[in-house]
Amino acid sequence: MKGWTGYILRVNLTDKTWKKESFTEEFAQKWVGGRGFAAKILFDELKPGIDPLGPENKLVVALGPIAGIPAPNTGKVVVAAKSPLTGFYGDGNLGSRVSDQLRKAGYDALIVEGKADKPVYLNIEDDKVEFLDAAEMWGKGTYHSNEWIYAKYGKNVGVLNIGQAGENKVLYAVIRSLEGRAGGRPGIGAVMGSKMLKAIVVKGTKQIPQHDADLMRKLGVEGLKKARELDQKSGWSKQSTDAVLGWCNEVNGLPVQNMRHTSHPEAYKLDGEHLNDARIATYGCPSCTMHCGITIHDKEGRESELDYENIGMLGPNINVFDLKQVGSLNYLCDDYGLDTISAGAVLGFYGDAIERGAAKGDFKFGDAEKGKTLLWDIATRKGEAGNLLADGALRAAKVYGNNSADYAMQVKGLEMAAYNCKSIPGQALAFGVAAIGGHHREAWIITFELKHSKRESYGPEKAAKVIELQRIRGGLFEMLVACRFPWVEVGYELENYPKFFNAVTGLDWTLENFWTAADRAYSMIKLHYLREFPEVTRKDDYPPAVWFDKSNADTEGPQKGVVLEYDKYDSLLQHYYDQRGYDKRGIPTMETLKKLGLEAEAAAASKTAKLN
Amino acid sequence: MKVTVKLIGPLIYEGGFSERELELPGPMTAAELSAYVKIDQKRPTIITRNGKAAAPADVVKDGDRVVISHIYSGG
Repeated sequence: MKGWTGYILRVNLTDKTWKKESFTEEFAQKWVGGRGFAAKILFDELKPGIDPLGPENKLVVALGPIAGIPAPNTGKVVVAAKSPLTGFYGDGNLGSRVSDQLRKAGYDALIVEGKADKPVYLNIEDDKVEFLDAAEMWGKGTYHSNEWIYAKYGKNVGVLNIGQAGENKVLYAVIRSLEGRAGGRPGIGAVMGSKMLKAIVVKGTKQIPQHDADLMRKLGVEGLKKARELDQKSGWSKQSTDAVLGWCNEVNGLPVQNMRHTSHPEAYKLDGEHLNDARIATYGCPSCTMHCGITIHDKEGRESELDYENIGMLGPNINVFDLKQVGSLNYLCDDYGLDTISAGAVLGFYGDAIERGAAKGDFKFGDAEKGKTLLWDIATRKGEAGNLLADGALRAAKVYGNNSADYAMQVKGLEMAAYNCKSIPGQALAFGVAAIGGHHREAWIITFELKHSKRESYGPEKAAKVIELQRIRGGLFEMLVACRFPWVEVGYELENYPKFFNAVTGLDWTLENFWTAADRAYSMIKLHYLREFPEVTRKDDYPPAVWFDKSNADTEGPQKGVVLEYDKYDSLLQHYYDQRGYDKRGIPTMETLKKLGLEAEAAAASKTAKLN
Repeated sequence: MKVTVKLIGPLIYEGGFSERELELPGPMTAAELSAYVKIDQKRPTIITRNGKAAAPADVVKDGDRVVISHIYSGG
């Protein structure tokens, strides 16, 4: 087998053992890597109904066949587990040198099992695994921990670590790396914390096996050059992802005041132009051609790395329009290891619940200082509010009652990213059917809706576009484990990725092969969901009720009076199910599962749930 | 005829301004306005007029707010 190392490292924290396990070429080709590997491994190894924060849950770090090989932009890692936030499979990706170091150590994936009896970190060097005392890092933020590791091991190692939020099992704690920010929005950092695992350090010295390393080197170098040229020509990196903030504000898609409003006259203070003006440095992941992390001095003078999602959710969504204050909130989330999107959504929800009389508290929209205090309370589960808000918007809403779940801005428990879609049906669908809950990573179709369809359309073309992008963004890129930005933002041709894959594996895949693999991974995740929630209904794929509520419509501007319509949204959902080969609950049919070669997985799921 | 043109993202550096009220020399379509403010016509863009999507052939009217943006993909 070439391209893949052919091995997985399995580590058990309870008894401090490890073993190197081989996998077959059939497994490799069926699941490719990254999300595919993680979804299959966790389906096979986790019993439904386990406590996501118990020792029986497993943390999977998974890579793909081009991960760690110089090419655009391959320095990414997928982290996955049963999510404590959503209750089923959850994953995310982040940039980290773990990408190349774990592969050079000889592994395509790492499985962490069990639970340590005191805080530890793992040090992996090729065939050696050490379980080391993390007492000096425990209780500290991710900046401190990561620097502590660098001081001990140098900056060429790969690092994954958690902050106080992960240690305290905040349900939207992420895994961090100074090499490329954060990943694992559905609480994968909390799973790491529940295992008393503070950090993973990886160093590898071997060669990654490749079918034709000379060809891959040539393709990779050409690709890096081309992707950089495209970025420079487009000027994308000048404002990075935050350029979209100004546009969202202009087209009524910005999250303002817990997504009550879709634009704000002060939003321009946070747009890409202002971020670029305030820039002190730029950061990217390993092998990155279009660095998207722009740092500014925050209110306290620290260096805070910003992009659109964290600005959108920690800015307008809580009515904070001072970029330095947004920087401060973002810095604290990063240091504590809190997901910035969920943190912004939770603060927005809390402010909204107080205003509407469902909750008591002294947080008001626009109060950045109180927001900072709350973030610490959440990260440490301090006080009644901090402890409750640490469980996410939906769980808090269930405690507050008074229909507050209607404006908890989440899908399947995962808070939605920074796009207010009450008048944007296709993107609302994209959130509704995202594999792991309300995520933007897999499909973002707003410009398609405005330019190539009609904004108000609920037609099949929008379902088709969501599926097309899920296959590319949530499939190909999450399974190869590479960043989607060169393709999605500056037009680096998609056809290059099968070329990379074929050079390293010696196979002859086309994009069609990847679409099949992507559909298989999506169906696998759906089976995870079915197994955990046998009473699943199509309502699980609906966005929050407030987006359908006329009283929440814009009161002025071009989208005045417009909200989603239940019947039409349901028909759009049906278009998606029909095109996907899913039943009326949104679960793949037996015929679809068979077509994807998932008979064994279907049989396993059928033991506890019904398949049609 | 006066219109307000707002450029988004990298187009700001291409057009040389962020937002400007312009006195147009005569009637223009959305595409012609984009060329008038020196946006590379080979670059894919999305144009909105008063917050709603505009086709290239849509005629711009007095008092319009026209936003010209690079096509984003949601990160």
